[in-house]
Amino acid sequence: MEGHSITKVVLLACGSFNPITNMHMRMFELARDHLEDTGQYKVVRGIISPVGDAYKKKGLIEACHRLEMTRLATESSDWVMVDSWESLQPEWVETAKVVRHHYEELLASEQNIDDVDTIKYAKKRRIEENHHKDRDDLQLMLLCGADVLESFGIPNMWKQEDIAEIVGRHGLVCITRSNSDPHKFIHQSDLLWKYRKNIHIVREWVTNDISATHVRRSLRRGQSVRYLLPDSVIHYIKEHGLYSSESEQKNADVVLAPLQRYTGASSS
Amino acid sequence: MAARRVPLVLLACGSFNPITNQHMRLFELARDHMHSTGQYQVVGGIVSPVSDSYGKQGLVLAKHRVAMAELALQSSNWVTVDEWESQQPDWTETVVTMRYHYRRILKEYERSVGMHNNSNLSPQLKLLCGADFLDTFKIPGLWRDDHVEELVGHFGLVCVSRGELQPERAVHESDLLSYRRHNIFHVREWVKNETSATEVRRALRRGLSVKYLLPDSVIEYIHRHNLYTEDSEMRNKSAVLRPLVKQAQEPVKSLDD
Repeated sequence: MEGHSITKVVLLACGSFNPITNMHMRMFELARDHLEDTGQYKVVRGIISPVGDAYKKKGLIEACHRLEMTRLATESSDWVMVDSWESLQPEWVETAKVVRHHYEELLASEQNIDDVDTIKYAKKRRIEENHHKDRDDLQLMLLCGADVLESFGIPNMWKQEDIAEIVGRHGLVCITRSNSDPHKFIHQSDLLWKYRKNIHIVREWVTNDISATHVRRSLRRGQSVRYLLPDSVIHYIKEHGLYSSESEQKNADVVLAPLQRYTGASSS
Repeated sequence: MAARRVPLVLLACGSFNPITNQHMRLFELARDHMHSTGQYQVVGGIVSPVSDSYGKQGLVLAKHRVAMAELALQSSNWVTVDEWESQQPDWTETVVTMRYHYRRILKEYERSVGMHNNSNLSPQLKLLCGADFLDTFKIPGLWRDDHVEELVGHFGLVCVSRGELQPERAVHESDLLSYRRHNIFHVREWVKNETSATEVRRALRRGLSVKYLLPDSVIEYIHRHNLYTEDSEMRNKSAVLRPLVKQAQEPVKSLDD
């Protein structure tokens, strides 16, 4: 048995989940398979964090519904769960802050586990001393699609220091399709290039392009979305009459929260 | 008052090795499309797994493929599995399977509607297929000309594709299909979804997750019976596909066999 240690990983996916689809769930499965295949990681948890209503994206319906649909979708999973912290914040929260929040929670809960383990007394002492220090054996990684990676390049969508924190201090797992080239994008960005070791590209050989936009469109037109998302989520949508032409017009004339926040701020 | 619609049943023949969410999507998309023409009322869907004697590489036993389809379709209120084709002693031509089901549907329909009500439109049975299906007509020895004619001329096709123009081109490039183009319905799936049974089997062989590509109950079944391994994929490796053998031998039979 080799002496190298295995890093425990928690995957965090941020997004609208408007609504959640089988594609979102697949991303977790693909990411886990990929990371564990390297022999260096063990994926222990997946967290889905739907964005708050204050994000002001066009067609974004209330967080309470998006949370419940996500919860229904994760019911059949024994490792992926939904988290409501981000959606409950009154203002839009930068992704880096969400990552920070969950990482801190992770460290705290791991410490509690170590505290009760009396055999690891020495380890407990060490952790108390390094309470706020990052651990090598535990990582939180942001799980996303290639579109999020490429959004790093959109002016005023991200603060440079936030990108640096996410890919530098934590990690990124990016699910990509055969037709996009994230490696080129990374190559063209000095910041991403610097932290390329923390960016894991997972190629999705079998395109599974179930976009939430497409699902909402089909629902508006009374077309079937069966087998694109879990039956329980479809049932919930029908029960509550979500996703109509009206709901798609929400925030139509409003500026997206990050753009609003960063435009007008002094350039960094 | 709504115009009278033709009652329509959709039949999908194939390996279903295993059945996936994508197979079940075909039915949903086809139903929506045929309804939107205003001429049809889709009243049923049939999944008909091919028999073991088809000889395709990697084909697992029909009893498993039928059981998995049953599990997958448990939650559907209009699509069912039928094992008639899989239980025939030899591989059955698609047209023969269609004739069998059509006779059955007609009988049931006449029984339930009543012979006195002649004003009702007779039910129809059409073959539901994917885009690549039309291309198989070109493969030498795989199809009899008279069968293709009966399939597209008499029954009809509902062909679901992923937004590419290949199916229209396949029709254009075949005189027979072109002649019958009014009986070939093209349904577009705008969501690019390449989840195929081949990919699912590949993932399973490699110990990778297939969750959300097919129903959990089917995944459980696969693991319980340890289907889809490197060995199972080698089955029939050097065999010739049964239709190629069978149709090379037999003389052309009439429509009433």
